[in-house]
Amino acid sequence: MSSVFMTRRAVLGSSIGAVFATALPRRAAAAVGFNLAAAPAVAPLGANSANTSVWAYNGVIPGPILRARQGDTVRVKLDNQLAEETTIHWHGVRVPNAMDGVPHVTQKPVTPGENFVYEFVAKDAGTYWYHPHQRSFEQVDRGLAGAFIVEEKQPPQVDREIIWVLDDWRLDDAGQITSDFGGMHDTTHSGRIGNWLTVNGRPPENLVVRAGERIRLRLINAANARVFALGFEGHAPQIISLDGQPVEPHAPEFGRIVLGPAMRADLILDMMGPPGARFPISDNFYPGLEYSLLALVYAPGAPMRAEPRADSIRLPENPLTEPDLAQATRHEIVFGGGMMGGGMMGGGMMGRGMMMNNPMAWTVNGVSATGDVHEPILSLQHGSSHILALNNNTAWHHPIHLHGHAFRVINRSGNPTRLREWRDTVLLAPRERAEIAFNADNPGDWMLHCHILEHQAAGMMATIRIA
Amino acid sequence: MHRMKLLIIGMAMLLPGQAVAEVASKMATMYKNPLCGCCEDHAAYLRHNGYDVKVIASHDLPQLRAKHGVSEALTGCHMTLIEGYVIEGHMPISMINKLLAERPNIRGIALLGMPFGAPGMAGPKTGPFTIYEIAAKATDGEPRIFAVE
Repeated sequence: MSSVFMTRRAVLGSSIGAVFATALPRRAAAAVGFNLAAAPAVAPLGANSANTSVWAYNGVIPGPILRARQGDTVRVKLDNQLAEETTIHWHGVRVPNAMDGVPHVTQKPVTPGENFVYEFVAKDAGTYWYHPHQRSFEQVDRGLAGAFIVEEKQPPQVDREIIWVLDDWRLDDAGQITSDFGGMHDTTHSGRIGNWLTVNGRPPENLVVRAGERIRLRLINAANARVFALGFEGHAPQIISLDGQPVEPHAPEFGRIVLGPAMRADLILDMMGPPGARFPISDNFYPGLEYSLLALVYAPGAPMRAEPRADSIRLPENPLTEPDLAQATRHEIVFGGGMMGGGMMGGGMMGRGMMMNNPMAWTVNGVSATGDVHEPILSLQHGSSHILALNNNTAWHHPIHLHGHAFRVINRSGNPTRLREWRDTVLLAPRERAEIAFNADNPGDWMLHCHILEHQAAGMMATIRIA
Repeated sequence: MHRMKLLIIGMAMLLPGQAVAEVASKMATMYKNPLCGCCEDHAAYLRHNGYDVKVIASHDLPQLRAKHGVSEALTGCHMTLIEGYVIEGHMPISMINKLLAERPNIRGIALLGMPFGAPGMAGPKTGPFTIYEIAAKATDGEPRIFAVE
């Protein structure tokens, strides 16, 4: 059916529908089209200033929610109305290489005033997001990010679906984004972490729920560097999907949902508290900086139901290629650098000259990558299986993202993982070693990088070639 | 609102229970990345040297440095305030004592990065530390050397 691009108005309209029921009629795979214009805008982030200057898709923060059904052909026309080059990366979506949005590697960057049409089949259902891959440490931070939702053909039955795009901003006293991008402290520590939090581009507001209600909550961490660890007091969330990929429904470890930058989780929340009750959702990732994000507030009135819905919450599988672990080749990958890393930041090498002239601080296998195009650290045969042993040889967390594939996390710190979860981004704790396994079923040059965007920009990135 | 809340929570977590120094008047306030471990070791070092150190975990080091006139080039790991002076990084106590004895008309002093062998850092010292002055007025020129230790 329609391959026409939606009008800007229509896209804007759809983005307002962040909350709606999922009882959509089934239909055959189709082509869905969107227009995204990247341009300067103002947004009511709700800080001291009512209007913060941002860079936005279609004038809204976050960008419009793009929705497709699994199997649809998705076509997105990007118009670059910024004063600099840009691209769009479809984070977690297994697109053909030419649609991956990595400048000078998979496409020429889109120059100001030009456009580019991305087209791919949404093979996997799930919660994904889109953002630039050009100078992403600034472009994403200034607001260029949005949710990309691929609906299952048979989604689990819930009463309501909610998307939270979590982000933070570093605002000055006038409520404007500070321009200190790429600073030494942020680069060598935990990245650019903001002083202002938003959920869907607004200050967090309490969520009013009905007793007995079942909500599917899609969480997306669009922040450059902030890690969230969300605890839902008085509730028992079940994680049904990680990074868009279905996972065996389970309670989060230690009762908190840890989301590194770029990571997603889908939760099923049964609101079994009493009418009128109030339960905070807290974030306790950073010691000494714990806070309450918002609260679940139960509306008065009789519960919708006395017991949780009996419907299954398990998601149907996505068509992923299972890695053959018996035949897989193992590769060691070492991430290094940063403050307390024991390497370049220590001893006499650290000096004013180095700081001013060599901002490169992070490494993959000893190399701090510069520029856009890199000699591949691995060349893998198309269709072969591989285990990457990711060694975090630093004192900092790193969410490591592989493009073009989903991988199973099979081992952490020497222990097999219980769920063998599929992911596209794995959060490595300081000194942690994790093993990921995947089948190299998508040919092309694919990036492997830290999604703390300041770490990526300072060298923590590499290319893996599949041919 | 939220910014305020973050700050208040951060301070409330850290105010009580700090070690009482032998000389109550020697106060230090340290701003540090919440996940950086070596800063705590430097705080312990300052406490051992008689300071009552209030440690404040913060994501806002770049803004705090800007407010205190510390340029990007003179960034240490953490920032400590003592008697109106800014102390950047893993500063040895001898340099702090020299600063407070001489009381020069500068913002403070900086030991860049995280050199091995500095107080709160692991490893043997591999060479002399160059301590820079944080000038009273920001300049584009080379920073002056306060001392080599």
